[in-house]
This record gives sequence, structure tokens and C-alpha cells, in this order.
Amino acid sequence: MAQRAVWLIRHEPGTSFGGTVRFSRRYPTVEKRAKVFNGSSYVPVPEDGPFLKALLSELRLLGDDKDFVESRDSCSHINKTSVYGLLVGGEELWPVVAFLRNDMIHASVPLVEQTLSPRPPLISISGISQGLELLFGIQDFLYSGQKNDTELNAKLSQLPDLLLQACPLGTLLDANLQNSLDSINFASVTQPQKQPAWKVGTYKGKPQISISITEKVKSMQYGKQDIADTWQVVGTVTCKCDLEGIMPNVTISLNLPTNGSPLQDILVHPCVTSLDSAILTSSSIDTVDDSAFSGPYKFPFTPPLESFNLCYYTSQVPVPPILGFYQMKEEEVQLKITVNLKLHESVKNNFEFCEAHIPFYNRGPITHLEYKVSFGQLEVFREKSLLVWIIGQKFPKSMEISFSGTITFGAKGHNKQPFDHICIGNTAYVKLHFRISDYTLTGCYADQHSVQVFASGKPKISAQPAVARKKHLIPKHWSYRQFLATYRKLISSDYYIWNSKAPAPVTFASLLS
Amino acid sequence: MGPLNREAWARRLAAFRASPSTFMARAESEDLGLDLLSDLRSDKLSEQTKVSLLALSLEYSDKLWPDAPAAEAAVTSLLDTLILLPPRPSALRRPLLLAATTALVAGGALGPTSEASCRLLPLLLRLASGQDVGRAFGPTAEQHPLQATACECLRELESCKPGLLGSSLGLLRSLLGQMGPVQPLSLLLALVLHNTLVAQSRSGVGLQGLLVAGASSTGGSRWDWTLAEEGDAHLQPQAPSWPTAEEGECGLSILEPSPEEARELRAAVAQLLDTSYLLTPVAQAHLLWLLGWAMRGLRGQLPMLFKPQLVRLLGTAQLTLLHSVLALKATFGEALFTTQDEALLLRRLTLAAQHPALPSPTHLFYLHCLLSFPENCPLGPEGEEAAPLLLGPQLCRGLMPSLLHDPMALLAHLHLLCLLCAEDEEEDKGQAQSPRQFLVELLTGLLQRAALGDGPRALATLCFQATYLTASCLAGQPAILTPLIHGLAQLYQARPSLVPHFVDLLDRVGPELGEPLRKVLWQEVVTRPGPGEALGWHLQMLAEVAEGGAQSATLSFLQATAPHCTDWGLQQALLQVCRALLQTSGGDGLADLLQMLARQLEDPDGRDHARLYYMLLAHLASPKLGVALGPSLAAPALASSLVAENQGFATTLMVQETPAPIQLSVGRQKARGPLPVLRLQVEALEAVYSMELRFCVKGQLYEPLEAIHIPCLCPDRPTHPLYLTLKPRRPAPTQLQVQALYTTTTGLTCHAHLPPLSVNFADLFLPFPQSPKGSELSFFEELWDSCLPKGVESRVWCPLGSQGLETLVSQHLEPFVVVAQPPTSYHIAVHLPPHSMLLLRLEAAQADGVPVAIRTDDWAVLPMAGDYLRGLAAC
Repeated sequence: MAQRAVWLIRHEPGTSFGGTVRFSRRYPTVEKRAKVFNGSSYVPVPEDGPFLKALLSELRLLGDDKDFVESRDSCSHINKTSVYGLLVGGEELWPVVAFLRNDMIHASVPLVEQTLSPRPPLISISGISQGLELLFGIQDFLYSGQKNDTELNAKLSQLPDLLLQACPLGTLLDANLQNSLDSINFASVTQPQKQPAWKVGTYKGKPQISISITEKVKSMQYGKQDIADTWQVVGTVTCKCDLEGIMPNVTISLNLPTNGSPLQDILVHPCVTSLDSAILTSSSIDTVDDSAFSGPYKFPFTPPLESFNLCYYTSQVPVPPILGFYQMKEEEVQLKITVNLKLHESVKNNFEFCEAHIPFYNRGPITHLEYKVSFGQLEVFREKSLLVWIIGQKFPKSMEISFSGTITFGAKGHNKQPFDHICIGNTAYVKLHFRISDYTLTGCYADQHSVQVFASGKPKISAQPAVARKKHLIPKHWSYRQFLATYRKLISSDYYIWNSKAPAPVTFASLLS
Repeated sequence: MGPLNREAWARRLAAFRASPSTFMARAESEDLGLDLLSDLRSDKLSEQTKVSLLALSLEYSDKLWPDAPAAEAAVTSLLDTLILLPPRPSALRRPLLLAATTALVAGGALGPTSEASCRLLPLLLRLASGQDVGRAFGPTAEQHPLQATACECLRELESCKPGLLGSSLGLLRSLLGQMGPVQPLSLLLALVLHNTLVAQSRSGVGLQGLLVAGASSTGGSRWDWTLAEEGDAHLQPQAPSWPTAEEGECGLSILEPSPEEARELRAAVAQLLDTSYLLTPVAQAHLLWLLGWAMRGLRGQLPMLFKPQLVRLLGTAQLTLLHSVLALKATFGEALFTTQDEALLLRRLTLAAQHPALPSPTHLFYLHCLLSFPENCPLGPEGEEAAPLLLGPQLCRGLMPSLLHDPMALLAHLHLLCLLCAEDEEEDKGQAQSPRQFLVELLTGLLQRAALGDGPRALATLCFQATYLTASCLAGQPAILTPLIHGLAQLYQARPSLVPHFVDLLDRVGPELGEPLRKVLWQEVVTRPGPGEALGWHLQMLAEVAEGGAQSATLSFLQATAPHCTDWGLQQALLQVCRALLQTSGGDGLADLLQMLARQLEDPDGRDHARLYYMLLAHLASPKLGVALGPSLAAPALASSLVAENQGFATTLMVQETPAPIQLSVGRQKARGPLPVLRLQVEALEAVYSMELRFCVKGQLYEPLEAIHIPCLCPDRPTHPLYLTLKPRRPAPTQLQVQALYTTTTGLTCHAHLPPLSVNFADLFLPFPQSPKGSELSFFEELWDSCLPKGVESRVWCPLGSQGLETLVSQHLEPFVVVAQPPTSYHIAVHLPPHSMLLLRLEAAQADGVPVAIRTDDWAVLPMAGDYLRGLAAC
């Protein structure tokens, strides 16, 4: 269970190599084992240059797709996971875990502790999940809060030291690289026994807990009789617990109002120590009925130092927050469009912003436009063939607004107007972007009654601290009223309203309902 | 070379990293390892630079110190550097320990005879156990990180040499109970426990109290290498192979520990699991893989120890943790997961495979895990991806593919959908929306996208991959294949430039899709009105699918097209179709077309080419033609395609020399008729067809011999003898040169030289016509007298050997006896074609021979007759 090598490759389309290796790290002791385990099927880890070339080619990132290339385009060359085989020097290096995020290709080669021919199934290779986790960890570290290339370069330069902590000899010890960074900084602090490995050092200062619930709502609305609209809420609960003591025990309960929509598909952070079976089994796979578990959802845990995602959930609210209708018809040389939007009365009518984007793909620039909006303003991006309807902070009292117009397009220019492979012919969509603060669609909230903290007394260092801690546990319901901060917000994400007069990409669920 | 400064080192390291092999090929590269070691002690370099030097040695120690002596020296130097560090905080101690460990392993120096090993191992163990190792190891604040690093180093050494720490098991256990960083010690203890248990179950002996042994081995006493040496042969996988191998296969026997050992073992495992929540998620997962695999061969209630951890783990869907739970599932099956537990795990996995909060690579990995799910009662064949029994369509609703997925995700979900469709063949009839209908709609969507004129190639590739995947999973379902074929035909109509994809698909799919698709595409091409821009593509397509339809229609299309093929490329494409037709059928129509092309094409290369095809068609039978054109063309030659073509089939049209495919031998033949006939026995070594055997006699002794034709010979079928008529000009023995010309099963024409055949003197013997009964003696006497005076007379002694005279005569001379008075005398007359005779009088036999009087009318025969008679006894 180890990695033979790790790479970060910046994808740079248009350059001679198509990319540059920004970071790489090899593990010779693991390589030594690979040689023994893989036997005659062993393929050594290549140098950076050949690896870069092979990987970019396999990921179709070399940008040269004019001609049919059998090794890349053959119909039987099918990859169904982020694990690839790379042709290097006439031999196939496998498995290579790789994915592209933010123009950076994250790649690693996990050790397989057996022969590679026949190829063992991925599920049997422990290094695959470890490799993915390491790469996710690197990605989180590089891109959390990173804004520009200078910051990225600074973080890249820290990577060698961080991996010396987090993965010194090829076996991943901690995927949270921020932790490793802290441990370098905390190195001078004497660590007490039974300090969790995921918590370096202890917090000193004013106790404070902050909980933020972010819900994203996505929707697919078709405006058709035979196809059901779909929508789903995905929630993330983020916590930051500044508490003294090595292992403070905290329980956070998420509550729903009387008519709230039950939380489903709950995934918790590994620091959560136990879970009610009702939480574990509440799932969107089953049809929701009145008997569904509707909270409170209790999460007992020992918090890490940093901010972390306590849990994720989904929920099926009864109606989408904004119901839309989009109709687009081609009439001779022009397009006739109508958009109607209706905010549901139960939703808080106080947006940070609300916009409807109406893009036109695979056409020329907008040359002529006549329109009427019942509310808000329209911005026109002629070259990009895009209309943005700015609705603003509030819907009007009627809660209904509409837009209609006729548009004429010019001749298609080369690569100036956007291409899309979904919006063919009259297949088109309106995409809504909005954000409401201090609001959740499910109604989910946490308040001062939701947080319980069990801090230990003054733990003495003893031979059996685990037992001692339990003995000294003083279940004391601390009032954190003045130290608790809670935030809520609702954000749209993938909120599509499709042209009802043309085919639209349909999910299986829409067809079943 | 003196110490380098920071910049010089930075340049050198960068040059090395850019391409280690190029760097090491240079002359000065040899010193890199030595310079690095010496500069680590230099006062002029900053600690940061030294850390970067150590980082390089961590990554490339196998390049810097590739063999054991170099590695040994490097480790010694690194350890010396470590000890010489001043007793203040330093960032070098950890990397020095790691570098020493790496160099020792990567250079292959780890072993009982290595002094460096014997220094490093006790040092690491003392550090790991938190013992005071002196002021040289920095202030107490640095002890904790060093302790953790020492554990890491020991874990790596134990991974590479299982059993190394076997005797320290008890010590490590006690350390975990008392103090020290939990994670490094837990992982180390778990690995040593794992390796010990695996080794013990291999050798079949018990734990021998290792779990409770004291801290004896850490003192100054020598390192105990016994267990490491025993386990040396097997580097032990830390993870189970999948699906769970049978006990016998991996050489593991069921280990039955004594009650006391079982108690200790349970306590040790429970201790590790109880504190596992203190480990990072990835380390917890590692621990679970190790413990799960270690205990698979053990009897008893041990798997239940994992139970309390499961609910906590199932709640997370954290990648490594859920993966380790699946590993436990595969290892213990029903012993740990009841049917309900299995169902819950499957639900959580299904949920995780589609949870919007998780990234796409995680979804795809979980999807793979679903299709390889280790079921308690698997039904299908092992090793193949299949949907688990419990995973019904209801559970899969959220896992269906969508056009909005990226290509990889779409293919992965499509695979699942296909598997469900294959299972649900019967069940889903009558439903408003069946998965199969959805699949058809999805494929239609993909085909539409691929048809986009200016779309990227990736969209077309995706469409063909989806088609291939569907066709391989659902080959027997016309309800899906029929609309798919229709859609592909439309795609071809819309975008003929996708021909290479179509050709690739046709070459790879089975006949269920391939055959009807060929027909439909052929139809598409030949019924197109007039030539267009895409004529080149259509011709390419026709070359692939020509066999799918009627030849007459193809030929009329080609005839109509030919005048439009004005450039070289189009002409070549046209000729490629002719080539495909040549291979499959032929016929008059094709000959006419080729003749027309040979006259009318503008390009001389094209005309030559057409003429060549015409000649081939006119002169070769169709199987031969098929073979001659069989191998596909190499890359088109620049000067002339004809050259390339010629290279392609010159070998197939030429007669090639091969080793003999048959064995020939001369058998015994009854002499009769006017001419001597050789009876030949044939034995086939391989199947040959249309064989012609040609015989040749050196000189003018015989008239030319006729060839023998054999239609077919097979090694396992009986063969008839062959008869070869000899026409001697003079009665003399000779050797026949034999050549075989034949066709192989693959249609190649070959020739082979066979070993020469000997025609002996006796093979030429023919009897005289039978004389009337009663007048034999006078007939003989007349012959006898007629020999002289032109002929010669002689007497020879014919040895009899063990056989008597009667046997000798009956065996060799029976057909030629004219007068016999056994056992006293025989009169023998032999006709030797063309015009000679040999007369023998055998008289009363004596003890060891018989005197023979010889007369012949041809003096040249006499020496041969003498030799023959003298040699008879030996036959």
C-alpha cells in the first residue's frame, strides 16, 4: 500500500510539449518492492519527459485531434475510471492514477503487490484509493484560497517539505497537507500522548464554534408533459471549533422546522465518532414518505483544529425555488424566445443576486435584438451570443416575471462564438444564477441549543489516558451562546430550464416519474 | 571538486532532475553521490540547501549509489553526519534518517552482514522506543518528530524485508500501550504483526510467544535476523488478492493459535482498533487492510473485532476508508457481514458513487467497486465486472448515464446500464420507460452529437466507444442493435469523414452488429446520388464494406464514379475498392472494370495498378488471389503505389523454397511389363496440395522421367504408393534428383528439394516372356548359346550366408527363374531394358556358397552382376 511516484503537470495548451512537470517525487524503496512483486510484468517508472508526453497523449490533451489515431481514438480503447495505462518506451505502465483539475494534471503510480498480468481488478489494489486521496490532498492544498499564479508557485515550492511529512517513504500518512504544514510549524511543541494524528497541537484562546450551512440547489426543468422536472438540494455543513483541550467532545444537532424536508444521503467527516442508524440509512434511493426520519440529526465528534466539512447531505424539497419556462422557436431568419420565471412563495424573496443567463450556441454573433422584460434589466453580449437578464435582489409582488424577444444572428465566425455539443439545433437552455443568504431551502439550521460541548477537566497524564479521560469527563452543557456563530446560505448550481420546444438531455429519473 | 555553493548545487540538482539518465551518462556524474555526502557536512551550505540535497538522495538513491557497497558507504556517511550534528534543533535529522533508510534498501545493502544495517537498525529502534540516545539527537522538543520518523523508517525496512522486526513485536506492543505517537507506532505494530502472522501461517508454527516478549532485543545485543532470513524469499503482499484466493493457492494454512496466543492476539488487535480513531483516515484505512489480511487465516472470533468500527466507517464514504471496508468484506465475507450488513454496505457504496458532494474520480472508482463488489454469494463468473445481485434497477436510478456526463463518466455509467439491460431482458416488458428504451435514446443523443459538423473528434470517439461497449454487452438484443445500426447509418450520411471510426468499429465488433451494419453502410454508399466532396471517404468506406452487398451494384457505382476520380488519391481509393472485390469475389464485371480503368485513368500509376489487378484476376484462381492480396498494404509509397503493392504480394506470388514437406522412399516392386517401375512410398509431414514431383537423372543413362501429380496429402491420412516408370538407355543403377512443387494450406506456392532416390541394379530386372510349358530348358539353352561370341562369360562365387539356396532364390530371383531343379540347380534369365540380358546358372550349393555361371550379351553388365550376386547374402 504505497505510491511509486507522484507528479503535478501543468497543462499548457499550445506550447511545444503541451505542459510542464511542476513537481515530481519518486520513492526508490517502493520501486524496489514493485520490481519484486510485479516480476516479469514490472515496468519501471519513467523519467519526467517521457511520462509527460505519454500522459498528455492518453488524456487527449495534446490538442491534435485532426486525424484518427488508433491508439487514442479506437472504439475499444475505453477508460471508465481515472486509472490509465501509459505506453512508455514500448511497455505499458499501469496503473497510473491521473485527473485534471484547474489546468493541473495530478498523477501517481500506486504499488501493486502482485503480478500485473493478468491485470488485477482495481478494487483489489489498496494503492489506488491511497493515490487518489494523496492527489486530492495536494489539490486541496494548492487551490484552497489560492488566487493567482504567484500563490500557486509559493505553494508548489512548499510541496517537497510537505510530502516529506505526509508521505515520506511512499506510504501516505495524512492526506491533509495543511496538517503537515502545521506540524512543521508546531514541531517545537511537545505533543502529549494520545494526541490524534489529525490534530497537531492544541488550541489556546477564547472558545468559539462556527457552523455554516451551505445548500446548493440544482434543477433540470423541461416544461414538457411526459418528462418530469427534477431538482435536488445538496448541503454542506462546515465547522470550525476553537476549543481548548486535547480531545474536546462536541455534539452538533441539525434541526428541521416542522415542514422541513428530510436530509438524506448523509456523509460525515471521519472525526464523527458514532452515527444513528436512522442517519445512516436515510437515502434518496428510497421514496420519501411521512415516516422518513426528520431529525434532529446528531453528530458527536472530536473536532480537528482547522475548519472542516462536518457532513454533506442531499434533500428532495417539494418544489423548486424558482419555476421556469423557456420557449425558443426558429422563425425564418430569427429566433423568437419567451422566458417566464416564478419564485415560489415559500422562498425568501431577498437575493444577494439573481440572474438568468440565456446563451445561444453554435450560431453567429447577435446582430439584432428586440425584447421586452417585465422586470429587471437585460445585458447583451453580442459577440458571445449571450443575454444576461439581471433580476436583482427581489422578485416583484406577483412573484412572476417574464422576458420575450426576437433575435437575429450573423454568419458564424471561426471560434469566436461558443460551441456546445448539447445545444444542437433548437436545444437550448436558460441557466439561473442566484444566492440567498441566511436561508436554507430544506429549512435546516443549527442554533445555540444545537451545540453541546463536553470538555474534559484537567486531564492528568497517566498510563491509560483513554480510560482516564472517560473517568474525568465532566458532562457539562456549556453555554456557547455568545461564542457560537452560525451562517446559512442557498446557492444555485446547475439550474437549467430547457427549451420546451426541442429535445433536451434527459436523465433517467425524469423519465421514470 | 571543492564544496559547491548554493547556486552551483541548485544548477546541478536541476540538471540532474531534468533527466537523470542524461546527467549520469556524463563524465562528472560519478562524483555526484560523493560530493553530495561530503557537502552535507560542509559549514558553508545552509541547512535548506542540505535538505534539498537529502531530498534528491531520497528520490534517486538507486541512481546515486546503485550497488550494495556504494549504498553501504553512503549510509555509513549519512549516519556519521547525523551523529556529528551539533545538539541544537536541526531540520536535517529527519531527512538524514529517511535518506539512510532509503539508500540502504534501494542499494540492496540491507542484511546481517552489512555494518551499516547493524548500526542503523538499533539506532532506529532506540529512537522509536523513545529511549535517550544522547544529546547528539537534538533537544527534547525534537524527540517526538524523530520518534515518529524512526517508526516510519522501521516500517519501510520491515515492508522490504518481512520479519526484520518480528522479534520486537512484544516491545512495540508495550510501547503503543505506554507512550509515544500513536499513528506511527500503530502502523508499525500492525505491519510487523501482519508479516509475522503471514510468515507463521506459511511455516505452520505458532506465534511462539512473540507478542509478549520483553524489550530484550533493543539493548546492545546483536540484531535478530532469524525471522527476516526465513521470510526473505517472500516479500509479503499487504493486501489481499481479489477475489479472495483459496487457502491453498497462496500457500497459507489455517493457523490455530493456542488459547493463550489467541487471547494475546485478540488483545493486540483490539488495542490497535480501539485507538484507530486517533489515526488520520488514510492511516486508519492502511491499518484495516493490514489487520484484515493478517487475520484471514486465523480461526476463531477475530473478525468480530472489526464490527464496532464499521458503522463509524460506513458513515464517512471517505475514499480510503470505504475501500478498506470493501477489503474487509472481501476478506471475511459472511463472517463479518451478515446479509443485512452486506445490503447496507452496497447501499452506502451506491450512494457514494453518485453523491454530488464527491468528485468525479471518486464516483468512477466507486462505480468500479460496485461492479466488482465482493458478494457473500456471488453467482456470476469470478473476475468479470457484473452488477451485484442486490443492485436492482431501483438502486441504480441515480447511476444512469446522461449526455451531460464527461466522456469517461458516461462510458462507466453506460456500462452499468448495459449490464442491467442484459440482465433484465425479460423483466422490463410493459414498463412505460424501460432501461433499454433509455439506452436507445441515449445512444441516439450520442450519435446526434457525433454528427455535428465542426465538433471535436473526442465526441465522435465517445460515440463509437459507446457503440462498441453496447454491442459487446448486448450482442444478442436486436431491440437495441437495430435502432443503433439505423443511427450509425444516419451518422455516416451526415459526416462521411468519420469513415476511419467506422472502419475501426467494423474491425472490432462481433458479427451481430458488424454484418448488418456492413450491409446498411454499403447500401448508403452505392445508392448515393452522384459524386460529391466526400467521394474519397465513400470509396474508403466501400473498400471496407464491399462484401456486404451485391457486386453488380458495387461495380455500377464504381463505373459511374471512375470518371470523377481525377486525382491520384481518389484513383487509389477506387483501386482499393477493386482490390477488396478481387479478394472476395472477382468475376467478369470486375475484369471489364479493371480493363477500363487500365485504359482510362489519367494517372499512369493508377493505370499500371489497374493493369496489375487485371493480370492478377486473369491469371490467378480466387483462393490464390485472396492470399496474394491478403496482407494489408504498408504505408503508401511516395513514388508509386504500385511499388508498395508489389512489395506487399511479391512474396505471396513467388515460388518459395521450403524444407521438404514429405518423405519419399523406394519400396519393393514386382517386376513385370515392358519397363521397370519404381514403387514409391510417400509420407506427408504437413498438408500439401497440388503437388508435382519432378525427377531428374544425371547424364544420359535414362530417358527423361515424367512428373507425378498428387492432388492432396495430409499427415494423418493414409497414402497410396506412387509408380515411377524408368526408361533406361543403358542398364545401369543411378540416383534420381527429386524436386517437389506444391501449394500450402495458406495458398502459397513452394518448392523443395527432396533427398535423392537410388535406383539399384536389381530395380531394372525384368523377366523374359514365359516360354511354353515343357520347352523352358531349351529356351534357356538357346539364350545361353546366343550370348557368345558377342557377349561374355564368367563364373562367380555367391556366398549364401545363413540362408539356403532356396530361400535366396525365392527372395530375390523368383520372377526370373526359367528352369528350377531344387535344390540342385536353377536357370535364371533376366531381361535388362532396353536390350540386354543376364543369364545365371546356379549349381549345387556347397556349405557357404554357390558357384554361379554367368553369361550376358552386354559386357558392361558383368561387373554389376558380380557385385549384385556377391551382395545378395547381405540383403
